[in-house]
Amino acid sequence: MTTPGREPITRADVIAVLAALGDRAAADVTERIGSLELAWLVSQVEQRYDTTLELTDETVRQMSTVTGAVVTLRELLPGAGDG
Amino acid sequence: MALRPASRSRAEDAQAPPFPSGAWVHDALLAGDPGAPCLLLGRSPVTRGELTCLVDKQQHLLELSGLRPRGSVALQLPPSVEYIATLLAAWRAGAQVSLLDHRLVRREVDNALERLAPQIVVTARSATAAPMAGYARVVAEATERAGGRPAATPHVLIQLSSGSTGPSKIIARTAADLTGELGRYAQLDEYPKRGERIVLLASIVHVLGLVGGLLHGLHAGVQLAFPDRLTADGIRDAVAIGAEPTVVLGVPFHAELLTAGGSPLPQLSRMVVAGELIRPWLPGAFTARYGVPLGTMYGMTELGVIATDLDGRHHPGVAPAPGMSLRVSDGELLVKMPASPYIGLVDDTRWVDGWLRTRDAATIDQATGLVTILGRLDSQISVGGLKVDLTEVEQTLCALPQVDSAVVTYGTVIEAYLVLRAGASVSDVESALADQLAPYKRPRELHVLDRLPRTATGKISRDRTVLGAAAGTSPAVGP
Repeated sequence: MTTPGREPITRADVIAVLAALGDRAAADVTERIGSLELAWLVSQVEQRYDTTLELTDETVRQMSTVTGAVVTLRELLPGAGDG
Repeated sequence: MALRPASRSRAEDAQAPPFPSGAWVHDALLAGDPGAPCLLLGRSPVTRGELTCLVDKQQHLLELSGLRPRGSVALQLPPSVEYIATLLAAWRAGAQVSLLDHRLVRREVDNALERLAPQIVVTARSATAAPMAGYARVVAEATERAGGRPAATPHVLIQLSSGSTGPSKIIARTAADLTGELGRYAQLDEYPKRGERIVLLASIVHVLGLVGGLLHGLHAGVQLAFPDRLTADGIRDAVAIGAEPTVVLGVPFHAELLTAGGSPLPQLSRMVVAGELIRPWLPGAFTARYGVPLGTMYGMTELGVIATDLDGRHHPGVAPAPGMSLRVSDGELLVKMPASPYIGLVDDTRWVDGWLRTRDAATIDQATGLVTILGRLDSQISVGGLKVDLTEVEQTLCALPQVDSAVVTYGTVIEAYLVLRAGASVSDVESALADQLAPYKRPRELHVLDRLPRTATGKISRDRTVLGAAAGTSPAVGP
């Protein structure tokens, strides 16, 4: 994962985090994110970026796929936006 | 709670068997210091007195809706104070309560209600919860159900089996059985005691969270904390919210979540998990991070807690809980039980001559009495007179480098539902299996899925109907 607060989170970062749950290969991470995977992803990102994500029902819904999670996390992580 | 009136005939009541009064609810669960906080939802405490007031209110509303002693209620609410108060209220009113997981879909609920025939169904008219919260705020609604019948048995609690193995069973427990389980918890020295706190991550609809968490907490004077967020930081916040010695009660996933990061918490005295086998490295990793044990428990919906290793000293062994008699017969763990826990039993081989067949493979160390659970056993089938252990087939499949995960079932032929690893093909799996298993053991059909379906409680489903439906969108390939 990139340096907290400096670089935008990438798809590879999200997949790497998800793959760590169950010791999977990155290629075995599915596009759809289940509820346990989401709890794992949020926990790991909050820990690594030392932040608490401001989640809403909408952002949680958006994070049900890897693609949506990448977009949402880029918006939520302080100082880690891609703009 | 909104109400719709119910009505029942005197003839129905006259035919009902003796049913316990609801006095046990006060005696075992509600009695105690009314000023002491018994629940903690995020940072909001609910005292025992406040909870009792809510129970009074819910009982009044249920009785206004027509509920009478020996009545029947189905409760389908998310984890909430309203769920707790309504459950206790219905019990205290002398009713039999069926618990339905709030995540069940309409078809599953309709099927359950058809089988259970409750007189009153309590559901959420509205429910709000913060994202990923461990509890909800609910407006409950009680509705009379046409064709509902009063309790036909003296059981106060009805639960459906998880459905992970075949058609769900109706599991019934008496008040005496529940208070007996509370007595077992009270005798476990390492289990939370008065003045301590449980951070409750396990569902309070299912036996671990319901009896081991909610009812034990109320019975023993242990505060129950429901986290604002079911994330690692959210759980740690719930542990750190007060000074009381704290036990985290959950399933193995929660332990993995906490083990992935974080610093020792001075309040944390141990974590206890149950519900499925844990990965071998987890207890050591958890203790290395937090300096406290990761304990395990083994139990069943039919009986509650059966065996424990709360200090993590015996892993993977567990010691029988006080009063539990266990033996192994033909590799299967049997638990002594005075009466069948099933209503409308379909499979009458599950409870035989005072012993419940767990369908779990196990060994018992004769020297220590410790039990090691090996996995599910209800998987041996006969193919042309040859015995095949489907667990063996499944484990063989799962061990293949081409396979991510798999479930093997048997209807008329052996079938496998599997998730492939990237780049693997069905023919690769077939070739690999040919090296691993005799021909009669090999699955006749391989159904490739994107992911294995899970039950409402998160367990991988073994229901062939569910698996078949999932496979409907994926190719089914025969060898």
